[in-house]
Amino acid sequence: MAIVIIGNPNVGKSAVLNRLSGSNILVSNYPGTSTEISANPVKIGKKEITIFDTPGIYSIFSEGEEQKAIRDLFEREEIDLILNIVDASNLERNLVLSYELMDLALPVLMLLNQIDRARALGIRINEKLLSELLKIPVIPFSATTGEGLQEVWEIMESSSPEKKDKAIKEEGQRNKENLSRGKKPLQECSLNELRMGQCNGHCALCSIPADTCMSYADWRRVEKARTTADMVSSSLGERQRILLEKTQAFFDSSLLGTPVLLLLAYLAFVLLLKFVAISEGPITALLEPLNQTIESFLSNILPPGMLNTILSKAVPEGLIIPFSIIMPAMLMVACIMSLLEDSGLLPRYSVALERAGSFFGISGEAIIPLSLGFGCRTPAIMASRIMPTASQRFIVITLLSIVVPCAATLGILASVIAAFQASLPVIAGTMFAVLMLMGFILSRLMPREDAFIYELPPLRFPLWSNVGKKVKMRFSGFFTEVLPLLLIMSIAVRALLESGFLEIFRTMEAFTRFLFGIPAEAFIAVLVTIFQRYLAPLVLLNLDLTPREATIAISMIALSLPCLPAMVMTVREIGWSGLTKILGLGFLTSCSVGIMLNLIL
Amino acid sequence: MEEVTAMTINDMKPGQSARILKLNRGLQAGRRLFEMGLVPGARVKLVSRHPFKGPVLLQIANTQIALGRKMANSVEIEIQE
Ligand SMILES: Nc1nc2c(ncn2[C@@H]2O[C@H](COP(=O)(O)OP(=O)(O)O)[C@@H](O)[C@H]2O)c(=O)[nH]1
Ligand SMILES: [Mg+2]
Repeated sequence: MAIVIIGNPNVGKSAVLNRLSGSNILVSNYPGTSTEISANPVKIGKKEITIFDTPGIYSIFSEGEEQKAIRDLFEREEIDLILNIVDASNLERNLVLSYELMDLALPVLMLLNQIDRARALGIRINEKLLSELLKIPVIPFSATTGEGLQEVWEIMESSSPEKKDKAIKEEGQRNKENLSRGKKPLQECSLNELRMGQCNGHCALCSIPADTCMSYADWRRVEKARTTADMVSSSLGERQRILLEKTQAFFDSSLLGTPVLLLLAYLAFVLLLKFVAISEGPITALLEPLNQTIESFLSNILPPGMLNTILSKAVPEGLIIPFSIIMPAMLMVACIMSLLEDSGLLPRYSVALERAGSFFGISGEAIIPLSLGFGCRTPAIMASRIMPTASQRFIVITLLSIVVPCAATLGILASVIAAFQASLPVIAGTMFAVLMLMGFILSRLMPREDAFIYELPPLRFPLWSNVGKKVKMRFSGFFTEVLPLLLIMSIAVRALLESGFLEIFRTMEAFTRFLFGIPAEAFIAVLVTIFQRYLAPLVLLNLDLTPREATIAISMIALSLPCLPAMVMTVREIGWSGLTKILGLGFLTSCSVGIMLNLIL
Repeated sequence: MEEVTAMTINDMKPGQSARILKLNRGLQAGRRLFEMGLVPGARVKLVSRHPFKGPVLLQIANTQIALGRKMANSVEIEIQE
């Protein structure tokens, strides 16, 4: 049996699936989180069921990669049931898609999700009446509390694909064929609509392609959604709702909201740096005995020689540095991002910064992938799908790859800056200047279309269980990715240092000194960024640099190439040619930064 | 109230409500407006306008929608008190 979950963005589709299957799919409070269709095998009773989670859409008939992917899914798979997830607090808008789904003549089961939140907001929905009006089963549901889960399971268990009516099946087949050709069922055009201004001309009367304008059928569904929603819902004022509305009104007023949002962002950043600085000492002190134990243990059991020197230094280093420097940064970033996300504040930055974004040639949505990049760039690159056009995506991925430091990079940069007394203002200033310049140039090369439209999710009080889950999900990468990679690479770096291989680069000394004002080994560190940017400082820590040399080298490292996982993701998202361009740009940026700083400082 | 002066969302003041009359044709983004519930007949309320020609914030039923000025300019409305 195959079930497909469909619903508007951000209604809780992934959260519902997590409830149904007990799996862990990323859930977040802004549109555009799940950008791909995933197939999830679930066992309910004796039944094997495949549940497809899909990206949020407003209309299956629209143009766009997500819509096309969903239409292809209907084409490819024999779907037995559509699980339509609806946000109970926003029925009118959600019902438009529901009416489209019902036109497909496949069985539809509607979940009134977030019923807990709707109730807290004082919204009441008569689900019996709704079910009668739509002629499909409707179940009040909450992915957070688990309400309604039992009923959904029962329906899934009892509904059998074989019993499907033959006539219905045939009609469904016809509609599926319409879908795959990108045609809307029920498409009509009347002179009347033209006069009323409702038709943008999908018919022979004008040349706009059908899927970019609104048809009569679309309009009918909107009307039906409006009347139905009015009939079944009622709202009563409640304390929480009034308080939330006030807070929301505050953040959404442009005069007060924007400065407060910026102040919040600044405070979060200060908090992050302070937390990293404060925690490093105690963590190192705590781990010091362990560090020494490992070191002496390794140097005792291994035969004396190069292997001994390498491992007895590299292993403790590769274990301690992640814990003392990277872990606090990742943890803090995970907490901050999860809070911003779950409260619905994050998307408000896109609106507040829309004008600023236009300077970089990107629209306000860019703030979501860019700020996610401060956590880890790999998921951020995927989130860049939220951008409306391919060229804007490229700009965002480029900025992410070259300029935005991820949490791991931030942590380790901070500690290297402290170790060499490098100049933080110069490094931060350089990064900012590069960001501005790069955005400016890229935006002139690829002008953006001015069509900003974005749905703001509601502000809500963060749910601790949600925040906790998100922090855990974000932070788990530390153990599965950062720690093993750093350990391996720290051994590799140590081996390079001890083997004397780097001596070869001594011949380049004159060259790097002249061009960038840094010793050849420091330049090697810049090249190491190809593997993992946060490894580069490891090389630096073993060198003997003046503050000036360190400032230049760190700036060059901070503005260079994306790490390996980010590169893999880039290829997946925009292909090899995109990655090649970004790598070229990154290398160029890093070298120019070195040359410029060498001249200026 | 005839089409002598066609008002658009850009002419609204914060706090004002209006009914959408028509989406100007020829606009490629028309479908996206429809998806967000900006359709003829819908009631919208202007929540706020961001300075420097920034986006405007609208309330439609229970949803908040941010709209760039260009897009806002192509939506004709009729103010309702
Ligand atoms: N209060 C409440 N919040 C929910 C519920 N379901 C989802 N959410 C929240 O709604 C947001 C969007 O969820 P997500 O599953 O990512 O939505 P998707 O985009 O439709 O997959 C997240 O912040 C969830 O924590 C629910 O039943 N109750
Ligand atoms: Mg999702």
